[in-house]
Amino acid sequence: MSSGLRNQVLLNHLQKIQEVIGNDTSDKSNEQESRKANLTNTLHSDKTEAELFTIPKQSMFTHTHSEFCIKWDQFFTEKRFVQLPQRNHNFNYYYSLPDNCQNEKAIPIFVFHHGAGSSGLTFASLCKELYERLDSKCGCFTFDARGHGETVLCDISNSINNSYYRNAFVDDFVAFINYIFDNYLVHLPLEKVSIILVGHSLGGSICTFALDKLRYDVTRHILGIAMFDIVEEAAIQALQRVQSFLFSTPNTFGSYQEAINWHVNNGLSRLRSSAEISIPALFKKLEDGSVVRKTDLRMFSRYWDTWFIGLSHQFVTAPKCKLLILAGNDNLDKELIIGQMQGKYQLVVFQDSGHFIQEDCPMKCALTLIDFWKRNDNKNVVIKTNWGKN
Amino acid sequence: MDMDMDMDMDVPMHDAMSEQLIPTINEDSNNSDNENNDNTNNTINSNGNNNDNNNNNNNNNNNNNNITNNGGNGGDNENDYQEIDFKPGSSGIADNKSNKPLELNPSNINQLDAWIEKLSKCEILSEDDVSRLCRMAVDVLQFEDNVQPVNVPVTICGDIHGQFHDLMELFKIGGPCPDTNYLFMGDYVDRGYYSVETVSFLVAMKVRYPHRITILRGNHESRQITQVYGFYDECLRKYGSANVWKMFTDLFDYFPITALVDNKIFCLHGGLSPMIETIDQVRELNRIQEVPHEGPMCDLLWSDPDDRGGWGISPRGAGFTFGQDISEQFNHTNDLSLVARAHQLVMEGYAWSHQQNVVTIFSAPNYCYRCGNQAAIMEVDENNNRQFLQYDPSVRPGEPTVSRKTPDYFL
Repeated sequence: MSSGLRNQVLLNHLQKIQEVIGNDTSDKSNEQESRKANLTNTLHSDKTEAELFTIPKQSMFTHTHSEFCIKWDQFFTEKRFVQLPQRNHNFNYYYSLPDNCQNEKAIPIFVFHHGAGSSGLTFASLCKELYERLDSKCGCFTFDARGHGETVLCDISNSINNSYYRNAFVDDFVAFINYIFDNYLVHLPLEKVSIILVGHSLGGSICTFALDKLRYDVTRHILGIAMFDIVEEAAIQALQRVQSFLFSTPNTFGSYQEAINWHVNNGLSRLRSSAEISIPALFKKLEDGSVVRKTDLRMFSRYWDTWFIGLSHQFVTAPKCKLLILAGNDNLDKELIIGQMQGKYQLVVFQDSGHFIQEDCPMKCALTLIDFWKRNDNKNVVIKTNWGKN
Repeated sequence: MDMDMDMDMDVPMHDAMSEQLIPTINEDSNNSDNENNDNTNNTINSNGNNNDNNNNNNNNNNNNNNITNNGGNGGDNENDYQEIDFKPGSSGIADNKSNKPLELNPSNINQLDAWIEKLSKCEILSEDDVSRLCRMAVDVLQFEDNVQPVNVPVTICGDIHGQFHDLMELFKIGGPCPDTNYLFMGDYVDRGYYSVETVSFLVAMKVRYPHRITILRGNHESRQITQVYGFYDECLRKYGSANVWKMFTDLFDYFPITALVDNKIFCLHGGLSPMIETIDQVRELNRIQEVPHEGPMCDLLWSDPDDRGGWGISPRGAGFTFGQDISEQFNHTNDLSLVARAHQLVMEGYAWSHQQNVVTIFSAPNYCYRCGNQAAIMEVDENNNRQFLQYDPSVRPGEPTVSRKTPDYFL
C-alpha cells in the first residue's frame, strides 16, 4: 500500500516535472503514436531460417509486471538470442530487416555496437529514425555485448572466454556480423548490400578493430565505419577519472522511472523519448520494485587499458569510408587532427549533444548516417562532370 | 526557408542564397521511388532549383546533404534552424557599398597604419574599428575577380589558422609586406588561439596595400565551420558578443576564391571541380555567398588531389578527389604550369603531387600546437622560378598551454 502510494506521489511529481521540462511531449507523443502505427504496419514478422539458428531463451530478469516493460517492439521487428560459436555467451539482439527493396540499387545495413555500460537499445531511437527515413529500405542490427543487457555468460566455469579485453569484444562482434551475414543478409540480393558498422564510444573502438578480422566475403560488403564520440587520447585521459565518476553514479533506483529521470536530469541522456527505452534496459528489477544496474563497470577496470589503445591510428588508416561524430567540440588528438587535415575521414560535431549522441540526437545521427551512406556508396553514386562537354 | 534541422559538421553549410549550384553527385534515378523521396527528404531543397527537372533524384541528393548548423541551440528539433539569428549580411558592413574601389587618402592611410601597428603587437582592434575596417575591405574586395590576377614576383602561402605568431614569423622568413608581394590561399581562422588578430591583420594589410597582398577564401572562412572550430567562440570571448564574428563572416563572402599568377599558376584553397573545366567557368560563378555545401564553389574550397585517377568521392564529406589525369588535363586546357593549393596538412610544409602538376602549401607550423609539422611558403620570382622556404614554429614566451577538457566518461 505505502509503496503504491509513494509511487503515485512520485508519478504525479514527475508529470509536473515533465510539464516543465518536456514542453514538447504532447506533440512528440502524437507523432510517436503515428510513427508507431507506421512501423507496425510496414514491418512484417519475418521468421526466416534465422529462427532455426537461434536459441530463444528468456532473460533471467523479465519486466512483465513493471510499469516499464521494455517496449523494444516499438523500435525493432524482432528480438532474438543467439549462442555464437566459441564465444561462450548467449547474445541478445534486435533487428529490423529491409523491406520492398526490389527497385533499390543499394541496401544499407547498419550494424551497431554500444559502449561500455550501455546496451543495444541505446540505438533504438536512432534505428527507428533510420528505418522510417529510409522507408524500411535498410537493415538495422544491434546487440548486447558480453557483460551487458540481457546477454548472458553460458559457462561460468569456462575461464577461457569470460574476459573483457577489447579483443574479446571484437571477436564477439566479428562473430555476430558473420552470423547475421550468413543468416539474414545472404537472403537479400547480396550485390546490393552495403554494411555500415556504427559504434558508440568503446563500441567505436570495437567496430574499427573488427574491420581487419572479418571474413573476406563479408569485408567486401563493408562500406564504412562510423564512430560516435570517441577519441583515443581523451578516452585514455578520462580513464583516470572514471573511478570517481562511477562512485558518483548510483547503481540502484527506486523504480525504472526514477532511473530514467536521474539519467535525464544529469545529462547522461538528454532526450526523454530515448531514455525511456535505453535506460530501463540497463537495470533489472528486484522483488521490492527497486531497480539495480546490470553492468557494474568497476568489474571491467582491469581491462580498460586495452580498450582504446591505438584506436586513432587504426581508424585513420582503415581502408573503408570513415565518419566520426563528436559531441560538444572537436577534441581530436594529434593522429586524428592530422588525419582530418589530410582529408582521411569525415568529421561531424554536434555541439548540443551529450556523450550519448545516438540518444540525444537520433534524428541528426540518422540524417548524417544516411548522407554518409548515400555519398559513399558507389552503387548509388555517379559523379557528374561537365568536362569534355564544352 | 524551412531548414528542418541543425547540425555542426565539417562540411560547408547549405545556403539559401545559392543559385549557381549544379548537383555534382547524381543518384541513379532508378534508385528510389517518389515515396522514398518523401521519406528521406527531410531537409529543404532551395538549391535544387537549377536541377534538371526531369531528374528528381538530384533533389533527393541535395536534400540529404542539406544538413546544417545553427550555432548551438539545443536538442534534436526539426525546426531549430528557423530560429537562427546569424543571417548573412546582418552585420551591416555591406549596407553602404561604394560603386567604386576604396581610394586611399592620408587620413585613412593613417588610420590603417595605426591599426596595423596595433595588430602587429597581437592586440585586437575595438569593435567599432573592426566595423570600419570591414566596411573599407568590402569596397576593396567586391571589385576583385573570382579569378584574381596576380603578378610575379609573389610569395604564395597556405593555411594560417589563427597562429598569429607564426604568421609574423612567415613575414620575417619571406620578407616584410609590402616590400614582398603575398598571396594567401585561405584558412586564416579557427583552431589557433589568435584567429581574430590574424584575420584582422591580414584584412588591414589588404586594405592598406591592395595590390601587394591577395587573400583568397578557404573553407574555414565560413559561418558554418567557424562556429565549430573556434573563431566564433574566440570572438565571443574577446568581444563579449558575436558582432565581430558576424562582420568578418559577412566580409568572407567577398573574398576572391581563386587567383592566377602570371597566367601560369592557378591558386586556390582546395582543388579542382568536376564542374569546372576552364578558368573562365570560375569567372561565371556568383561567389558572394556563404560557402555552399556542394557545387563548383564548394569543390574549389574543399577538393584534394589523390593517387587514384579520375574523380573520387572525398572522404571529407565535401568536394571531390582528383587524380593526376585530371590535373594534367586541367593545366593543359588552361595553359597552366601548376595548380597551387593549401587545405591539407603536409609534414614538410609543402608537397608536390601529380608529377609536379599540383603543389600543396601549408603555412601553419606545428599545427594546433601539437602536430609537429614544418610550414612552408613558395616564392615565385620574375622569371617564374620557384623556391620553397620552410620554417618551424616561432619561439615566443607565454605560449598558451594546450589544455583540453577531458570528459567525465569513457563509457
